[in-house]
Amino acid sequence: MQLDGTFTIAASRLQVWEAIRDPGLMARCIPGCEAAEKISEDRYHALIGIKIGPISAKFNLVIDVEEEAAPESIRSKASGEEGSRASMLTARNFLSLMEIESNLTEVSWSSDVNVTGRLGKYGLGLMKKKAKSLSDEFVTVFAKRVETGAVTS
Amino acid sequence: MSKKQVFTLALNGKEVEVLAPSGATLLDVLRDKLSLRAAKRGCNQGVCGACTVMIDDVPVRSCLTMAGACEGRCITTLEGYADDTVMRELQEAMIASGGVQCGFCTSGVLITARNLIAENPIARNDEIRSALSGNLCRCTGYVRIVEAVAKAAKEVAP
Amino acid sequence: MNFVVSPKSVDEAVNFLVEHPEARPMSGGASLVAMKNARLIDASHFVSLANIDGLRGIGRVGDSLRIGGMTRHSDIATCDLLKGDLEMIRLAAGQIANSVIRNMGTMGGAIGNADPAADYLPVLACADGEVEITGPDGVRRLPVLDYVLDWYETALELGEIVTAVFLPSPKEARSVYRKLARTPGDYATASVACCAVDQGVRVAVGACGPRPLRSREAEATLAGKMHDVDAIAEFGQALRELADPLDDVRGSSQYRLQLIPRMVSAAIADVMEPV
Repeated sequence: MQLDGTFTIAASRLQVWEAIRDPGLMARCIPGCEAAEKISEDRYHALIGIKIGPISAKFNLVIDVEEEAAPESIRSKASGEEGSRASMLTARNFLSLMEIESNLTEVSWSSDVNVTGRLGKYGLGLMKKKAKSLSDEFVTVFAKRVETGAVTS
Repeated sequence: MSKKQVFTLALNGKEVEVLAPSGATLLDVLRDKLSLRAAKRGCNQGVCGACTVMIDDVPVRSCLTMAGACEGRCITTLEGYADDTVMRELQEAMIASGGVQCGFCTSGVLITARNLIAENPIARNDEIRSALSGNLCRCTGYVRIVEAVAKAAKEVAP
Repeated sequence: MNFVVSPKSVDEAVNFLVEHPEARPMSGGASLVAMKNARLIDASHFVSLANIDGLRGIGRVGDSLRIGGMTRHSDIATCDLLKGDLEMIRLAAGQIANSVIRNMGTMGGAIGNADPAADYLPVLACADGEVEITGPDGVRRLPVLDYVLDWYETALELGEIVTAVFLPSPKEARSVYRKLARTPGDYATASVACCAVDQGVRVAVGACGPRPLRSREAEATLAGKMHDVDAIAEFGQALRELADPLDDVRGSSQYRLQLIPRMVSAAIADVMEPV
């Protein structure tokens, strides 16, 4: 499924860039994120829990930064599973930052997500709705954190 | 490792005890523990009808019935109709009309049809189709199944 | 591991659920066991409500009609008390899945699950139905539209179960339930419940968002204009504006948005037909 969005943050492009490359901060902004750590320079691990009605799933994800043009754009791939491989997920992500003013940055992102297994079979339409509401939640929390300058690891 | 427990079932007129995982469905127990394999595991979601059995004189999906919820209830599978003349009539009509090909849906069809004849002995074709609409068949195209049920109903009509 | 327990009273069931937060209440099991089979859920226990007295049946209670939470779809589909402006509930019950599933599924289970495409949700919303919830803090009632919160999310807190649905006594007025699905018995792609009221109609749309769509403002605007084709079209558009449909195997969101005004007009025509 294709997801995308655009939002603005009242911060400089560099500040936004640093926030995106900060796994600790990202972990606190992603809804359901229970853990996030840097494994190597371009590899992160994250544990993200989601709940749709009575169905709970904890996604174990490895995120690889594939291409990076600091502080403009970043291309990454996430892949992983939940429920001991009951579902598998891959996502190809692209994010770009545009400076509107010195203290105003526009963030554009897109994600091509593929889910197979039990969640893919039974709930794909609903997952898209859920992904949309989670990404809206992320944007709100992320923007607030960056704007108030809470950039810590 | 799943937890096991002993289930006591009133099945085809007899009381049976069976050891099975706590989360087992009636279908799991019938097929995997009791070798009563008339009921089939088609979709395991209650849609296809191949698992249909009778509980307390009502046709239900054994794949959606927890074995642990069967206490005090009367279960009849196709095997329990061995001496039933109406069922015999239905079975012979199904064979004669060509309503059986691979046979996977047949047990569920027979249980549902047997119940229909008991409830509505003069069912019209549209009523037969409606009653069997929860039994999916991939082979026959349904026409011969409906013919068989109509024929059997007529044969056994008082 | 999905161990079945069978309490004998509502209190026993509620207490068990409170003490075992990983347990799930089980009504008919039609949806719950299907989810277990698909490995979508794995509860510590299934708390079966089947042996509890007083949860089955449909009857009058004062000025209301009460449908017990354990009442099966097959019994609701054949209940004579559901007539007039409540007939749409009977019609909805009869279009759920097939006759065998209707022998298993229940009103309480269906609205406990709150599948957005469930047939009862729009008819109960249209009928101003209330959900009776029993839990550790006692009994409470919520209008259906306050009970369903989001996709598969209800107002039920830990230990609470749906024990009944209450409806106003039936009035002599036409009501219909229109359901469009890929095949008879499938979950709705889109559905419309409609009943005639003095000078107007009440309408609720199902399967086009997390909750049924209903607009009392739009109904008030339409009142008195039941033969005005443009007013009816505008009303349909107003409901379409409220929709938040899925893109799924049963239809695209675009298709559902197109269906809403057409199905609403058709349902209104059904109830406006001279008897």
